[in-house]
Amino acid sequence: MVLKLDLDGTVHHVTILARRPHLVLSVDGRRHVVEALDEAGDGSRRLTVDGAPVSFARAGSADGAIIRLDGRSFALRRRDAAEASAAGGGANVVRAPMPGTVIVVHKRVGDSVQRGETIVTIESMKLQMKLDAPRDGEIAEIAAREGEGFDKDAVLARLVATAEG
Amino acid sequence: MSRLQSSINTASADFRRNEAHNRRLVAEFKAKQEAARHARPQRDLDRLARQQKMPQRKRIEILLDPGTPFLELSSLAANMAYGGESPSASSIVGIGMVSGREVMIRADDPTVKGGAWYPLTVKKIVRALDIAMENRLPVVHLCDSAGGFLQLQSELFPDRYMGGRIFRNQSMLSKMGVKQLALVFGHCTAGGAYIPGLSDYSVIVRGTGAVFLGGPPLVKAATGEDVTVEELGGAEMHTSVSGTCDYPADSEEHAIEIGRDIVSQWDRLPRWEAQREAPEEPFYDPAEIYGIVPDAIKKAFDMREIIARIVDGSRFHEYKPNYGTTLVCGFANIWGFKVGILANNGVLFNDSSIKGAHFIELCNQNNTPLVFLQNITGYMVGREYERRGITKDGAKMIMAQSCSRVPKFTVMCNGSFGAGNYGMCGRAFDGRFLFSWPNHQIGVMGGDQAANTLAEVKANQMKRNGGAVDKGEIDRLWDETRKAYQEQLSAYYSTSELWDDGIIDPLDTRNALGVAISASLNAPLGPPGYGVFRF
Repeated sequence: MVLKLDLDGTVHHVTILARRPHLVLSVDGRRHVVEALDEAGDGSRRLTVDGAPVSFARAGSADGAIIRLDGRSFALRRRDAAEASAAGGGANVVRAPMPGTVIVVHKRVGDSVQRGETIVTIESMKLQMKLDAPRDGEIAEIAAREGEGFDKDAVLARLVATAEG
Repeated sequence: MSRLQSSINTASADFRRNEAHNRRLVAEFKAKQEAARHARPQRDLDRLARQQKMPQRKRIEILLDPGTPFLELSSLAANMAYGGESPSASSIVGIGMVSGREVMIRADDPTVKGGAWYPLTVKKIVRALDIAMENRLPVVHLCDSAGGFLQLQSELFPDRYMGGRIFRNQSMLSKMGVKQLALVFGHCTAGGAYIPGLSDYSVIVRGTGAVFLGGPPLVKAATGEDVTVEELGGAEMHTSVSGTCDYPADSEEHAIEIGRDIVSQWDRLPRWEAQREAPEEPFYDPAEIYGIVPDAIKKAFDMREIIARIVDGSRFHEYKPNYGTTLVCGFANIWGFKVGILANNGVLFNDSSIKGAHFIELCNQNNTPLVFLQNITGYMVGREYERRGITKDGAKMIMAQSCSRVPKFTVMCNGSFGAGNYGMCGRAFDGRFLFSWPNHQIGVMGGDQAANTLAEVKANQMKRNGGAVDKGEIDRLWDETRKAYQEQLSAYYSTSELWDDGIIDPLDTRNALGVAISASLNAPLGPPGYGVFRF
């Protein structure tokens, strides 16, 4: 079974390869050997990861844990299967979910956007809806014009991946 | 069940604007509610004091078990009727605990026209007794009414759901084995006399309580007989001679004490075993609802953010999350009770309608009560959708919902327009309870749409009659239509006409649903079964 762990918003795939004599994990395809050492007694815990000592503290909840390591806090959460199935892919186009009218175009060609940022506001059936960026990227094309109508599945905007760096 | 992840930014400009808007609406609602509950002309309060009567709400306070909640229903009924003369429709109705039993409390309001029943008073009483029947809730009547408001008799006496229905419902309740107690504090005249007459138990206060079909002036007019109130229908006469009432009381407090003792004798009918876990407060602050619901009815919002602020631990098992995404369906707990939630995240399409129908069937099979969170502008229109059968898919949802045997509860969170109101368990579909938020609007269409439609019809009419289109006339018609529509679309109009069981502060949604779900468990579930689904 592959565990999906969300660490500060990034999902990591973790598989347990062996439990004895030491814990062997595959994290995003990389193999790591983990040995548990005694508790330090001050609430922190000690491990060795691939032979190197690591000391950390954790506070757990039903949904995950907060890890304190090297002076920083990390939120760790397990993603369940139903949630992951709803997270969606990384499509490059913003399509009209139904026929309607463009009310506001929020972005221009060349703007860089993050996943979830609103690109256009549309109105259909007396309801104004925001259409958001499906992924991080840069606006390559805006086909929507304020006040103009469109059909279902019309492409209202296109994204391209932002160049690394 | 995993916790919903909120993506609300409480520091954003949108959030703050919405919050200011909704807090203003709630403050306005609370001011209206406070006035309906307590603001009365001084002379009416003085008269009450002279008669040594307690204010109606004081009576209820003493009747209830100390420290238990009272869910008042329709506190703003009739707020837009009769020039505002009949606050709360001259009647207080709510669910509370008396001697450890959940009961329906129904009280006349003697501070308004001697407790006379207006047409909407009758509608409110009939609704209270309908709730009692549907949920097998015993009823305590606090009687103090002069009878029907005679100037409006045609609107309160003759029809199927008017005056007579009160007494028919009382009879049906008794037949079902649901108890009723009448505490007679003041006059029960004419039809009102049947309330204690049809209650299983009745208590009457010496000196102020009286029950008769016709009062002394009517007797004098009819037969010439001179008779006092006490002789005609007082406590001594009814408890020792006629047997119309059972127990005389020396004071109002004494009557309530006897009443509480009577209720404590009542057997408790078995409740059905709903799935229940230990209750847990929502993880996200319910007060954030104010910043989530937009400041304009047209703006969409994610109903999961509302669910996260109503349900236990903000935990939600979403059903079919990638299919028919404009209808959010899933399981959650409210005050520990397992419920199936259907919430609108946009217009209902073919797939969302089918998903909704399927989910309703799952809940019926699983004995899970249904909660509908409405924000709906309708089922999708247009050639493509008609060709795919949007009408028959909507019909499936309406069929599944109508024929549900599990209790249904509806909260009007924002808009409720067109046929979407039907699929989402609007008033006509016998939900056990229906509550509205102050921002709620309801109508067959929006104000702008109605004004545009009528203005166009008028312009065409002018052209047909050979004249030029009078722009001023058209604009006036547009403004008038929109204004009239806006007034009737408002939550206040809706609650005034008893299209709901009351406006609530959105923050009270969780508690109101908790009391409502608990009350619903008193009635056994009916047999499963549906009509013919059109495939």
